[in-house]
Parts: sequence; structure tokens; C-alpha cells
Amino acid sequence: MRSASELKFGEKVIIYSLDGNHPSCRRILEFGFTPGQEIELVSKSAFNDPLAFAVRGTLIAIRKNEAECIKVA
Amino acid sequence: MSLSIVQSIPLITLAGPPNSGKTTLFNFLSGQNYKTVNYPGATVEYSISCFQTKFGLTANLLDSPGIVSLTPSSPDEKISIESLYAHPHLGTPDLIIATVDASQLSRHLLLARQLIESKFNVIIAITMADLLKKRGHELLVDELKKALGCEIVVVDGRTGSGIDILIAAIEKNIKTDHLKPEPLPYCCNLEIDRLIHSYNEIEIIERRVLREIPSNGDGAANLIKANKQLKILNQPETKSIKSHLPDKTTLNIDRYLLHRYWGLFFFFMIMAATFTSIFWLAAPFMNWIDALFGYLADLSLAAFGFSWFGDLIANGIISGAGSVLVFVPQILILFLILGLLEDTGYLARGAMLIDNPLSKIGLNGKSFVPMLSGFACAIPAILAARTIPNRRERLLTIFIIPLMSCSARLPVYALLIAFLIPADKPWLGGVSLAAIYIFSIVSSITIAGIANKLKNRIVKEEDNSSFILELPAYRKPQLKVVLINTYHSAKIYLKKAGPIILGFSIILWLLTYFPNVDPKIDTNNLSETEIIQLKNAERLSNSYAADLGKFIQPVMTPIGMDWRVGVSLIAAFAAREVFVSSLALIFKVTSDNETLQNSLLEAMHGAEIESTGKKLFTTSTIIGLIIFFVFALQCISTIAVSKKETGGWRIPILQLIAFTGTAYVLTFITVHGLRFLGVQ
Ligand SMILES: Nc1nc2c(ncn2[C@@H]2O[C@H](COP(=O)(O)OP(=O)(O)O)[C@@H](O)[C@H]2O)c(=O)[nH]1
Ligand SMILES: [Mg+2]
Repeated sequence: MRSASELKFGEKVIIYSLDGNHPSCRRILEFGFTPGQEIELVSKSAFNDPLAFAVRGTLIAIRKNEAECIKVA
Repeated sequence: MSLSIVQSIPLITLAGPPNSGKTTLFNFLSGQNYKTVNYPGATVEYSISCFQTKFGLTANLLDSPGIVSLTPSSPDEKISIESLYAHPHLGTPDLIIATVDASQLSRHLLLARQLIESKFNVIIAITMADLLKKRGHELLVDELKKALGCEIVVVDGRTGSGIDILIAAIEKNIKTDHLKPEPLPYCCNLEIDRLIHSYNEIEIIERRVLREIPSNGDGAANLIKANKQLKILNQPETKSIKSHLPDKTTLNIDRYLLHRYWGLFFFFMIMAATFTSIFWLAAPFMNWIDALFGYLADLSLAAFGFSWFGDLIANGIISGAGSVLVFVPQILILFLILGLLEDTGYLARGAMLIDNPLSKIGLNGKSFVPMLSGFACAIPAILAARTIPNRRERLLTIFIIPLMSCSARLPVYALLIAFLIPADKPWLGGVSLAAIYIFSIVSSITIAGIANKLKNRIVKEEDNSSFILELPAYRKPQLKVVLINTYHSAKIYLKKAGPIILGFSIILWLLTYFPNVDPKIDTNNLSETEIIQLKNAERLSNSYAADLGKFIQPVMTPIGMDWRVGVSLIAAFAAREVFVSSLALIFKVTSDNETLQNSLLEAMHGAEIESTGKKLFTTSTIIGLIIFFVFALQCISTIAVSKKETGGWRIPILQLIAFTGTAYVLTFITVHGLRFLGVQ
């Protein structure tokens, strides 16, 4: 299963699950990345990190290693 | 903040996620128009006010910093949440107005629901309904009321629409004589499942309360598909929720500003433009102020004659005040540009773009705004570091903030550069100043890198490093609000720094004027000005300042300077810019219809080291002084704030020793290196 860090530009996917062991997991959830939610990768910073996702009507930037805990369908 | 607030009148707190419109609403209700910021988490300070009298409500209104949920993830959020439960001075709020951005309903309802679940007394204020409408949706307020079981009002804090309904709702709420709410502590280590569950419930509510205005069903199809894939049961027939898409214009702009390669390029261009405009735009204003105070000093000397009183007024007070005010234009412009960048939504992007490089040296993208503020003043910058969740990164950020070239160094650099460059090439001044800034940025990065390598000695903590930040939609900055903020910042700055600088200026004047007030000199064959100059010199060489100076002479000799510079450097510990007024005092600048700076420059060109008779200020010693100011931590207030924010003396003392020591050693190397190369 892929993680959100592997998405291509403009790729829209649905979140399948989150890795509860990641220390940032709760925070990521609080920002609206919940299973079943559609997200889209809208931009990558230079060095491909952090990534900006469109989720729930806004843009959220998160680091690549944090995006790894978001598993997508 | 006035603490004499009567406890018996109700306290109403505005709470909500960052950028949900709290401050806008606060300003409208209080009429105070105090502060709005766009950078998530930037409202570290609280604003409190009463309602405008026209609303006829007696209650205190508190604006609070944005929080995402009731589980804190950074020190500033922890403070915010704790004060929501029980504010140290104001206690528990009788009523919370929870702001919810209608265009991000599901995200913002998370906090609102947590507040309700924790048994706060809540009214929900829906903001940005206009944005929701633009995206083709409307909110069914009654449905939402039913679903959440609390009062809901749609407002717009910019235009005031819906405010009358909000006021009525508040009135009704605080009149129904219920007991003071006793909110339950929100369980911090809630299982993740409950969060997901909460969001699922919110989504169900969202589908029920959002209605599409025209028909266009693209997003709906996706959602239905998604739900089918996940076999989420028990859902009402989904309606299209197109508000799930972020703002179109924002996405288009970000295609350039957050571009993989061009993004950083634009970032550096914007930063470069910011700093250049500080210098270019401020220059004429600074010259006016400088000339004005030179003129005033002359006037007072003429009015009071050359008595001690006239001297105190002219040299102690007027030139002291002048040295405070002369760099106000630069501070204003810096705050103005920072405010504009903040208000447009760009600062959060800057943080994102710079996160990766900064993480390489142990910092965080969120260090960016504190560091940038450090170019105005280290004190608010250190406070702003509270937004960094990771303790290690926060301490490291605080550690290097004093190296950012704060505006107090500007007058010093301005003077020293003016000494160096020929009068017919003023453009060289801007270039040199830019070079100093670049040098100081490069040095602070280097020092951060070194400090990171020595991490266990400087900063002991290990913690999860994280960067999660909302990038708010781009907005046209509200110039009026930004201008008011800028004005407030400058006022606070003047209030804080002004008295210190003026006070020190007067103390220094006393030290340089006494005890030998009227020295006996041989006045034969001397013109009046020569007598005055000779008297000044004689008085100074027997003054208390000179006694103090002899004490530090041994430290100053190795770096090619004398006690007069030493006394000024010590005085600069009150505030760096005092260095300039102190030099002016020690070299007894008596202005003859010239600007203060020009006559000070003239005096500096003539100054000689007493024991050797060599010129005191040469290219090498001036460059040495610049290097000293780049590194040295010469600010008592910074040390105090650093102690408070890092929770101990370790970091401020390390900063003091490391930075001031580095400054001294590098100055020594610079002065002697330059001399070795033949530069005097
Ligand atoms: N379109 C729109 N913008 C709003 C509304 N209310 C506030 N804003 C804007 O939203 C931005 C953030 O508001 P602010 O009050 O600073 O949010 P805070 O972070 O919650 O204090 C500002 O640029 C406001 O002008 C509204 O009802 N509609
Ligand atoms: Mg605010």
C-alpha cells in the first residue's frame, strides 16, 4: 500500500488508514487527515519536502516523513 | 492589559482555530481594532476589551490565540488551552464564542464540538459564510443548531452583518442565570479512534447542513465513491460538498510561489526586496529626523548658553531622544512589510519552503517567522518561538535569534558605514549594509550548525521533530489593519526602548560631565570655540567616565581601541543603539548647524588614542567594530527574555559568553588581520 508521500502532483486519493505508531499521528488526524477523506497533493517544496495537501477545503503542509504515516488506497 | 478588571462582570472568550476570524470579530465588537494576524499561531498575546457601548453589553471580551484542538502540541497551544479553562487573571469564561470558518466546516467543528463536550458554555459564530457561498453552498443554520445543541449565529466581523443577532444571543445566554461553567479537563491522551469517530460524526452533520446552491455534482460523485469503497455505512444520501476544494485562486498562485524550483527563487527575491526596501525607503526619513534633532540641540545650546544646563538639554536629552527616534522609520517599514506578508498568507509558505534547509541545521520551518522578527527586535522574536512544538528546535531557535541583525544595530551600522564610505558615493552605503546583513545571516546559520553539532551540550532535549502547518488562502491584505498593527508595534517599541535609552543617555551625560565641571585652563590667545573644546576635553579626561574607562582600557587596547569606545560598548548593553548617543556624548559633539551625525563623524575623524597619538578610528577599527556588533549579545532585555523562555540561566549565559566572546576574538582577528594586509 502506498503512502501519501509517494503521490504525484495533482493526484487525488482517498486515505485508507493512519499509522498510529507515528508520533505525529494524532496531530495529522486533528488537521483533518482521516480515513475516508479525499486528499490531493498540490505542491512540493524544493528538496521534495515538505508536501502540501488539499484536505477539507484548505491546504496543509506536512513533512515527507509525516506524510509517510498516511496510507492511501 | 489592565488587571483591575472587575471579576463580577461576565467574561466572554473568543476561541477557534487559527484564521477563523476571531480577531476580526474581536475588533468589531470592541471597536478597538487592535490586532489581526494571518500566520497561524502568531497571536501569542491576548487582547482584552469591553464591548463597544453601542451594543449595551457589560462584559469583558478576550481574544485568544488559535488552537486546532484541546490537545496541545506546542507550548503556546498549551498556554492557550490552559487559559481557556482558567485564565490566570480572569478565571473561567462565562461564555465562549467559538468561531467556525464555514468554508472549512468539518475541520473547524472539531474544536467547537470538543468545547461543547467539555461542558463549556458555547455560542458558535459562523464566519466566512461569503466564501462558502462563493463556492456554491449555503449553511442550514437550524439544522446545525439541532445537530450541535447550541446557539449558532452567522456573522461577518468585517462588515458587521449578523452582529445584532450575535449580541442578542449573548445577552440571552448570560442573562439566563446559570451557574459559572465548570469545564471538564479534556482527556489529553484520547485514543486516536475517538478522534476519527468524532470526525465521522462531523462529516455526517456536514452533509446534513450544507446545501448546494446551483447544481453541479462532481465532488459528490467522488465522495459517494469514496464512501462505497470504504463501506461506510449508515450515511444519509450524500449531497455534493464542493467546499472540500481549497480556494481556486490560492491554488493558482501557489503553482508559482510553491513551485519546486521557482518557489525558493521567489522566496529569496521577496526576502531581498523586503530588506532592501527597509534601507531605501527609510533613508530620507532618517535624515530628516537626524537633521531636526541636530537643529533642536543647537537651539537649546543657543537658548541656555554654554552652561551645564544647556549641555544637559542638548547633549544629554535631545541627542539621546534623537538617537531613539532616528531609526523609528526603519522599524515602521520592517513591521509594515512583515505585517503585509503575514496578512497575505505568504509567511506560512515561507516557513514551508525553508523548512527542509532549516531542518538540516536542527531548526524547523516554524523557526522562520521568529527569525525574521529577530530582524526587528529579538524580544518579540524569542516569544514567537513558542509556536515551535519541538523543544529542542525551539531552544536552538531562541539560541541563535540574538544573532539576527535587530533594528537596534541599524543606527550603529549606519554611523560606522557613513564613516567608511566617501561622501560622494552614498550608494555604497546600501551595498555595505546589505553585505553586513548577508554576513550576519551566514554567520548565524554557521553558528546554528555548530550548535546543532554540539547539540547535547547546548540543548539536551530530544523530541519528535514535526512540521504541520496550515497554509491559509491568499487574501488581499487589509492595509488599514496592517497600518494599525505597525503603529502599535512601533509604539510598544518606543515605550520599551525609549526610556532606557534616554535614561542611559542622561546617566552617561552625568558620568562624562562630573566631577570636574569647570576645568581651569589657560585661555590666552584662544578663540571662544577653542576654549569650549579645550574645556570639554579637559572635563572629560577627569570625569567619572574616564575612571571607568581606565578600568577597561586593558581589554580595549588589544583590539586597537581605547576606553572611550569601551565605555560606549558598555553603555550599549542597555540597548545597542545607545552606542551612537554615547559616542556623541563622549566626543562632545557640539553641532554647528549640521546634522548630529555629520558633526559626530567629524569628531570621530579627529579622535586620537591618547597614549600613542595615533588615529582612533581607522578603516580597520571601524570594520572591527562592525564585526563586534554582528556577534555580541549586548542587550539586557534579550538575556532576561531568553532566561524566561528557556526556563533557566543555562542558555542565556551560554549565549552571552559564546556570542560576546566570539565577537571579541573576531574583532581582534579582523583589526590585526586588516593591519597586516596594510589596511589601517
Ligand atoms: N471573506 C471573509 N473573510 C473574513 C471574515 N472574517 C474574517 N475574515 C478574514 O480572515 C482573516 C483572518 O481573520 P482573523 O480575525 O485574523 O483570524 P484569527 O486568526 O482567528 O484571529 C483576515 O484576513 C480577515 O479579514 C469573513 O466573514 N469573511
Ligand atoms: Mg487572531
